[in-house]
Amino acid sequence: MKSLSKKLPTLLLAFLLPLTSLTPLGCTEKDTEVALLRNDCLKRSVGPNVVGLDIEFAYAMATPYGAGRIVSACVEADVAGAPETWLEHRSYHTDRETGADVGVTVGNPSVNDGNRTTVEFTVDTCAATLRYYYRIPEEARGKSVTFTFSATSSAGETVSMKMGPYAISKMDIKKNISARRAARFLSIEDMAVYSAADAAKIPEKIDLVYLRPDGNSPYYNTIGPAFVSPAADPQYMPGVTLPAGATNDTKIRKEYGVHDRHLATLDGQNAVSSGVFIDDVDFETIKLDDMPDYALGLRQYSCLWVETHDGRYRAFIYISALNGDGVTSCTIHIKRLKMK
Amino acid sequence: MATFSKKISLISLLSLTLLMSLAVVGCSGSYPIDEDGLLVTDRAECYVSNFELLGTDHLTVRVEGELPAIDTAACTINIKTKFGTDLKHLYPQFSLVTDAKLEPKITGLTDFSDLERPRQYTVISGNRKVRKTYTIYVEVEHL
Repeated sequence: MKSLSKKLPTLLLAFLLPLTSLTPLGCTEKDTEVALLRNDCLKRSVGPNVVGLDIEFAYAMATPYGAGRIVSACVEADVAGAPETWLEHRSYHTDRETGADVGVTVGNPSVNDGNRTTVEFTVDTCAATLRYYYRIPEEARGKSVTFTFSATSSAGETVSMKMGPYAISKMDIKKNISARRAARFLSIEDMAVYSAADAAKIPEKIDLVYLRPDGNSPYYNTIGPAFVSPAADPQYMPGVTLPAGATNDTKIRKEYGVHDRHLATLDGQNAVSSGVFIDDVDFETIKLDDMPDYALGLRQYSCLWVETHDGRYRAFIYISALNGDGVTSCTIHIKRLKMK
Repeated sequence: MATFSKKISLISLLSLTLLMSLAVVGCSGSYPIDEDGLLVTDRAECYVSNFELLGTDHLTVRVEGELPAIDTAACTINIKTKFGTDLKHLYPQFSLVTDAKLEPKITGLTDFSDLERPRQYTVISGNRKVRKTYTIYVEVEHL
């Protein structure tokens, strides 16, 4: 024990000496220059990136007090966003008492120029966090998008950082479709409902028929709210006259309570907080072989996986509301993927 | 110092001996485990206490208000499903007496559409000595 105590200082010295001798070699003058302007970024939106929706970021930039001010911030996407793309000209912070986001204007509204979205600062500030909303354009469908965020200070410094690449989904979304007796013929290709007169013009496009027997109907309890394929057994759609030529045999799989966040939070009054997202891979992997061509007894929050007769489309239909007996309408939201 | 070390060793040895003896006592009365990793117990009871059929949406397809008729003597279950029920894609759901298990296992959607040849499931008691095969008769509601 005693000998170890004696050896320890010698060992430490032997270890530290080479380290101290290496230090002057490692630190050149160039390395000691530390950028004063710093930035950071995080992606705020979650779930699949769907054409027509936004990808949201929060971009933070700061330089030490007294080391100049921020003069501009810019985001460049490698696929130009839709015209609705914008960069906030307000910097947000959380109110200490209410917990609400409070925006402080720091510059002029953003300007889109091709792939670039820029905000010129108009106030003397050394720190800001701007939010960026990239509205996913049709051109990005099925591709991936990368973003370069950058900021410039009055001291002439520029910092930048890349975010992504982010895969853009191939699916489509259509929200708030009101199916009702007067417009009960649903086309997955068009993601729209048609009246009997309009459906008669495009019978080959009609994939589903919406039914909603009245409270005094003998079918009220047995069939209830339903979506039925035109080729289904007529006993599943009593009282319905199909447009001539409507013969599609659509496969349907019932689900319940799959509150896809894109669809379930869209109609406001029935907003459901959810972390569930239907993504492209779900359409590609769902087993719909041998499924029936009708779905009876639906209720609020019922969902349907659907495959069109020709196999070109698969869709996920979310029922957010079934209105009362007097109205008999149903609010649906659709996600759809073209399969071939 | 040497005395202290000796005492520590003695305590450690005693503790180990005690632990080992406890382990032996603990294992001596335990139940054997079957091929599914389930405990084989002393229970000889063998019956289905409840039965349900669920659709692909995990909601019951049973006609509202009509409970399944479970005959534990005849080993039959009669269940009436709603009009239009897709019998090819159903999840059967059994409640069994304590410690019993089911054969075959339910691993996913099951086809009940062949009404001529109703599906059969065997309940095996906790002691694995009693087996009772239940036949499930499905009737679909008509308009």
